[in-house]
Amino acid sequence: MKGLIPLCDWLNQAPAHPVAISHDGPVGHDAFTQQVARCYWQLSSAKPGQRWAVYHADTLVFLAWVLALWQRGCTVCVPGDNRPGTNQRLSTRVSGFVGDYPVELSSVDHASNEIVSIPEWRALDTGFPALEIYTSGSTGEPKPVQKTFTQLQSELEALEALWPDHHDAVIVTTVTHQHLYGLTFRLFWPLCRGQLFESSQCQFSEEIFQRAHQYAHFSLVSTPSHLSRFNPVLDWDEVEPRCVAVVSSAAPLMREDSLAVAALLHAPVREIYGSSETGALAWRIQGDREESPWQLLPGVQGELTADATLKISAPQVTDGCQTLSDRVVMATDGRFRLLGRTDRIAKIEGKRVSLVEIEQQAEQLPLIKLARSLVLSGRRTEVGLVAELTDEGNRTLQSDGKRALVQQLKAALSRCFEPVVLPRRWRFVSHMPYNAQGKITVESLKTLFQADSTKWPSILSQTAEAASAELMLHVPASLIYFDGHFAGNPILPGITQVHWAAHYGRELLGVDGVFCRLEAAKFQQVIFPESQVRLELEYQAEKNKLVFRYVSDKGGHSSGRICFS
Amino acid sequence: MSNLHLDVKQMIIEALDLEDIEADDISDSDPLFVDGLGLDSIDALEIGLALQKRYGIKLKADSDETRQHFASVNALVALIQSQAEK
Repeated sequence: MKGLIPLCDWLNQAPAHPVAISHDGPVGHDAFTQQVARCYWQLSSAKPGQRWAVYHADTLVFLAWVLALWQRGCTVCVPGDNRPGTNQRLSTRVSGFVGDYPVELSSVDHASNEIVSIPEWRALDTGFPALEIYTSGSTGEPKPVQKTFTQLQSELEALEALWPDHHDAVIVTTVTHQHLYGLTFRLFWPLCRGQLFESSQCQFSEEIFQRAHQYAHFSLVSTPSHLSRFNPVLDWDEVEPRCVAVVSSAAPLMREDSLAVAALLHAPVREIYGSSETGALAWRIQGDREESPWQLLPGVQGELTADATLKISAPQVTDGCQTLSDRVVMATDGRFRLLGRTDRIAKIEGKRVSLVEIEQQAEQLPLIKLARSLVLSGRRTEVGLVAELTDEGNRTLQSDGKRALVQQLKAALSRCFEPVVLPRRWRFVSHMPYNAQGKITVESLKTLFQADSTKWPSILSQTAEAASAELMLHVPASLIYFDGHFAGNPILPGITQVHWAAHYGRELLGVDGVFCRLEAAKFQQVIFPESQVRLELEYQAEKNKLVFRYVSDKGGHSSGRICFS
Repeated sequence: MSNLHLDVKQMIIEALDLEDIEADDISDSDPLFVDGLGLDSIDALEIGLALQKRYGIKLKADSDETRQHFASVNALVALIQSQAEK
């Protein structure tokens, strides 16, 4: 096994080989150190001990700033994006911004294109806090996480011990280095192994395909978002012999997606489990027969806590030891399976976001009084937001419509959040769905989204107690039940009303059993499309009967008792 | 609005499982990403796959070019028409 170049002294110890592949081809060692020197001289205002933010889409440009700032004795802050809200939050924490920032934030001297002198590079102290990254904390505030060179290097050594092969493969990637996973796998690890990496990222399968064609061997660093949307139609047979490995992290990859990519590229799909706080901790490669469990990386120890979470000890973890927020089930051999998080941090297409932070930011907007967010899994994983509007919000909803209101709210939230994590489904309710204990549960929020507008009413508000519930319903004209019932004069069929009552009884009051008959049914007034009705439910558990009543300001529409067995 | 425009809009709504939006609400010329419809990078991947499935479109490996094709409904229609001519 070849040893890794220490990250803290890379400038002195790197061999005179090309460093990376840019759009214009390989970038040689001398050209790159020249670029670092140029950055270094531009940073004359940087003082040791300061924190500086670096953001740039090009990995080599980013790296040049990082190495130069380290030489100036500064900690590099790596934000996930350069949105105005993020910059504003960082401005109290950092002394300067470099890379892709508006001119008014940029704090460096004018760049020169001339050859500059190379300063005497110094080896940095391994205990120096090289990096600061930000991750969603459960309080809603982004939480800074610092990494020393020792921590970064330990993580790289663990990976190298596990997978010491294929130094000659070029890293092709769909991930940014502005997150720890990308930073480690597409930048620092290859950099310290002397392995070439591409300085820009790919978006589509077609780009991966075309770039892979250029190299004798390549390794793909990607995420479940991309791997699950891999285009299978391309002629992968042509590049498959060149692929040595695929790495996936940021979220669990579905087993079928892993196997599909492994078959197309004829290479192992190495999944990584970890977090910004801990770095990479465990790995798995899916087997043919069943879901593979996770195994800890070399040098990482894990211990099951009483709460079924993992307590991790490893040199790369802050303070050497940390308890994770995922619940796990662990086998006697120490391998484990993940069961989901214990807090309100969500992973949306691999991006970590605090649901609390989304709610806090939403509630700061003048249109929203109260907000609750949740994760919805449909075609993709997405955030849903339920909100009670302020008077101003309600006025906007009435005058401009839901779409315009949603667009306005999304635009406001996009100051602070990446597009992928912005809520994609919105429900505006007059009252949050509180239960008998005065709590808003995830289940009750979910019911607001389950409504398929062709089969269900939209729920404007709902309250539930132990044995009774009330729902305010809007009956959309788009319901399939209005079709042909009756032509030219649509009304809501009685059977649909009974079906809805039984459905919400099961959902909100725990009604159980099979529908057996209807008693005392009365259909007094018809319900027209686009009307608003209140559904009152009362469950008589001892008789196993559900009493329902549809009423509106016009009076009673229908009522009856549904008997279950 | 041509049939192809309408078809592309329906493809977008279906492929992305968009809510509260009808084909008529999508403009031919407004940007699909960031502003306008406000789509994101995952949506771009889904549109890429949907184009392949529905129209047999192969994307070029050049992401800048692809970004231009994905700029608006008009641009997508032009892409589909140009590949149909080949």
